[in-house]
Amino acid sequence: MRQNKTRPAKRLILAAWAAALSLLLTSCLQTSTAGDPHKVALVVKSAETQFFLSMFAGAQAAAAEYNIDLTITAPESEEDYAAQNTLVEQAVADGAEVILFSATDYENTADAIDAAAQKGVGIIAIDSDVNSTAVASYIGTDNYAAGAMAARAALERVEGELNVGIINYGLNSANGQERERGARETLTDSGRVGVVQTINTRAEAKSAQADTEALLQEHPEINVLLAFNEPTSVGAAAAVRGLEMSDTVFLVGFDSNVDTVDDLQTGEVDALVVQNPYAMGYLGVESAYKLLTGRARELQSIVDTSTRIVDRDNLFAMDSQKALFAFD
Amino acid sequence: MTPGKRQGRRLPRLWVILVGMVAGITAVVLCAVSTFFIAQYRAGMVQSARTASAQACTQAAVTVARYVRDMNEVMELVQTSMWYRSTERDEFLRDLLRVRPDVVAVTTYTEEGDLLDCWVLDHKPRDEILQNLSFDARRAAETDSYVTPPHVETIFEGYYPWVVTMASRLNGNEEADWISLDISFSTISEYISNVGIGAHGYCFLMDEEGNIVYHPQQQLIYSGLKSEDTARLAQMPDGTWAEETVIYSITGIEDSTWRVVGVSYVDELVDLSVKTMLRICLAVAFTVLAVVLGAGWVLSRILSRPLAALTAAMERFEQDADHFTYEPVAGTREVEELSDSFGHMVQRIQHLMATVREEEVNLRKTELKALQAQINPHFLYNTLDSIAWMCEQNRNADAVSMVHALARLFRISISKGHELIPIRKELEHAESYLQIQKYRYKNQLSYQFTVDESCLDCLCNKITLQPILENAITHGLDLMVEPGHIDVEVCRDGEDILFRVRDDGVGMDEEQVRHILHSEPGDRTGIGIKNVNDRLRIYFGEGYGLRIESELDEGTCVEIRMPQVREGKYETK
Repeated sequence: MRQNKTRPAKRLILAAWAAALSLLLTSCLQTSTAGDPHKVALVVKSAETQFFLSMFAGAQAAAAEYNIDLTITAPESEEDYAAQNTLVEQAVADGAEVILFSATDYENTADAIDAAAQKGVGIIAIDSDVNSTAVASYIGTDNYAAGAMAARAALERVEGELNVGIINYGLNSANGQERERGARETLTDSGRVGVVQTINTRAEAKSAQADTEALLQEHPEINVLLAFNEPTSVGAAAAVRGLEMSDTVFLVGFDSNVDTVDDLQTGEVDALVVQNPYAMGYLGVESAYKLLTGRARELQSIVDTSTRIVDRDNLFAMDSQKALFAFD
Repeated sequence: MTPGKRQGRRLPRLWVILVGMVAGITAVVLCAVSTFFIAQYRAGMVQSARTASAQACTQAAVTVARYVRDMNEVMELVQTSMWYRSTERDEFLRDLLRVRPDVVAVTTYTEEGDLLDCWVLDHKPRDEILQNLSFDARRAAETDSYVTPPHVETIFEGYYPWVVTMASRLNGNEEADWISLDISFSTISEYISNVGIGAHGYCFLMDEEGNIVYHPQQQLIYSGLKSEDTARLAQMPDGTWAEETVIYSITGIEDSTWRVVGVSYVDELVDLSVKTMLRICLAVAFTVLAVVLGAGWVLSRILSRPLAALTAAMERFEQDADHFTYEPVAGTREVEELSDSFGHMVQRIQHLMATVREEEVNLRKTELKALQAQINPHFLYNTLDSIAWMCEQNRNADAVSMVHALARLFRISISKGHELIPIRKELEHAESYLQIQKYRYKNQLSYQFTVDESCLDCLCNKITLQPILENAITHGLDLMVEPGHIDVEVCRDGEDILFRVRDDGVGMDEEQVRHILHSEPGDRTGIGIKNVNDRLRIYFGEGYGLRIESELDEGTCVEIRMPQVREGKYETK
């Protein structure tokens, strides 16, 4: 009969189905064991400042939570982009799947990052952006707003005309330049500003101190200093203390260093713009995890971590304590 | 024959039904069982998660309580030391700070809250303290056991650890009214951080107002990346509270206003197990399905296939019963019995068919013999009349040949009882008949034989041509006024032999042709054309026999087709 001829073929197909299903099931039943942890490299500008130490703490907390093999590297100096590029290459060579990158130099690190991205490494910019289209997400402070915030802190607390000295660091740092732009525009808009003098110093306390002293001596009319990162803030505060100008100069620093917090209490520093490096580190690793687990769509292109002004009046308010002092 | 219409819907194949039924029942049972089981399992898991959470919390609470008691003891010791001489006291406190690294500082205050003295390792208090978070005299005055929420130690230069402060009144001391201990979290963190509930559950410590004292992820909370709904938790009494996704377990700590809160996640604890359960159920379901399919296959081999083979055999038998050869079908005993019965039936039917055919042949033979015995008496006495008349007219030679022809006619008719005779004889017979008739019709009739010589030795049924010639004469030529003519032709047509008898008589219409082929001679005697046709068919099968073409006023052509038969082949039949 006619059907008889086609039936063995059908049965074969059925048997194949059954075999495939049982295979599928046995593979299903094997509980998926977590493989080797994902490798993520955190390449930053410095391993010295409390800002980055706090970032590391955040990154490590997230790495522990998401079972990520996290390596942290930084060049000796915040200006040494060549060394940082080498670190990026090293991270790629070591098998990093995602690089969390805080650029020493907006332009000069771009090639190394592009090269890493070419090899399939995910890139997340953290704290300092880099000029690369490979950056999946930027996590950090809105630097223009932070600069404006520093300027407003001075404008609100200093009466009369403001003669401003800006202690900025590397010209190639996107962060510093953005902050300066924000500060300058805010100052100009206020109409109460006389001189605005910028010096670019190395992101290191000693040279910042020397350069600030030189600036203050050259421009004795300066009554407001804005220092745009942690080492320059420490250096500027030291210069103000050294020249005994804490009463005449209103210093707005960045970030929380034990020294600047001390100086805030004694008067050399008058306000601090406090970023949230712990959150940057934590969110950075969390984003890397999302990138690695196929949830890249959840990433936002820009994540603005909070920034706040701390001055002598609110230094020990609970919120300021939480922002300023790391909980070990 | 066509089978009668079946009542109702036709059912699918047996193994399909079986597989469907087993798979369906299994699926339903599995569904029911797994639903029930998973519900039970989930409830059980939630209960055990609650228990685990509560136990972990209690454990943490006990250790923290011990720590608090410990600290109270330290406080008593420190209080006592305030009455020592200053050198002894300093030494004692220095040793204490060394032994208890979690005690950051021991500080004394006046009634107004002014800092008097501070014992600390490696640091010294500022000259000007901007704001001392460790001690608030106004708050201290309201309570006996003064314990602050966590705060940053603010009295030192360049040293800002997070601490809680406990303070106690120094009753009757001359120098100071209050003494305080600043305690870091190093020890508490050990107690709390190591408590895990499930994979992601944890414990934290909060005070009566809902301030977090210690949390394993305190920095995450401080950085604003995580939050605990402590305001609500502070309102809740001690106990275990299972919410939609979270189980909170709250336990108070003995001799303290602090409480331990255990947080564990229902989904994580329960859903994982439920997922595993589901996987197992699915696996079982698919395995069962596979087994059932296998069983179906086996069943089809054992049951359906032999049945199908049997059906096929029956169909073949139905189409061609004669040439069907029965082959037994192997299978289960039922199938084999069925097959055997079918075999018996086939044998019986084929036997019956053979018998019927034989009887039919015999019947025709008998019929023929009977007819031969009484070959048209009219013909006989007409012929005899003709002979007598010839003798009277002294046409002796004609009379003699007439008598000879008659004798030959009868001899061949009888042919020693054989049914099949050589065509030569049959033609002789036909010619004798025509000769006689020619005399009778006074030369109004002419005839002609056209014969393929090679056919003469083949056999044919005797008295095949005579009834057709008779028909041609009596129906075709008898009624004519002019002389008639008959052509008899014998030739080969492929494997067959064809006899053709053509007359130029009055012809027949279709109705007459059908009548001649299908009805018995009836009123007339002699062998009818139908009889000739029937005999040929019985002997040689369908496809042989007579075909008549006739046109009115033109004549009739009768074609007789039979196979080439040689001596001996059909004689026994």
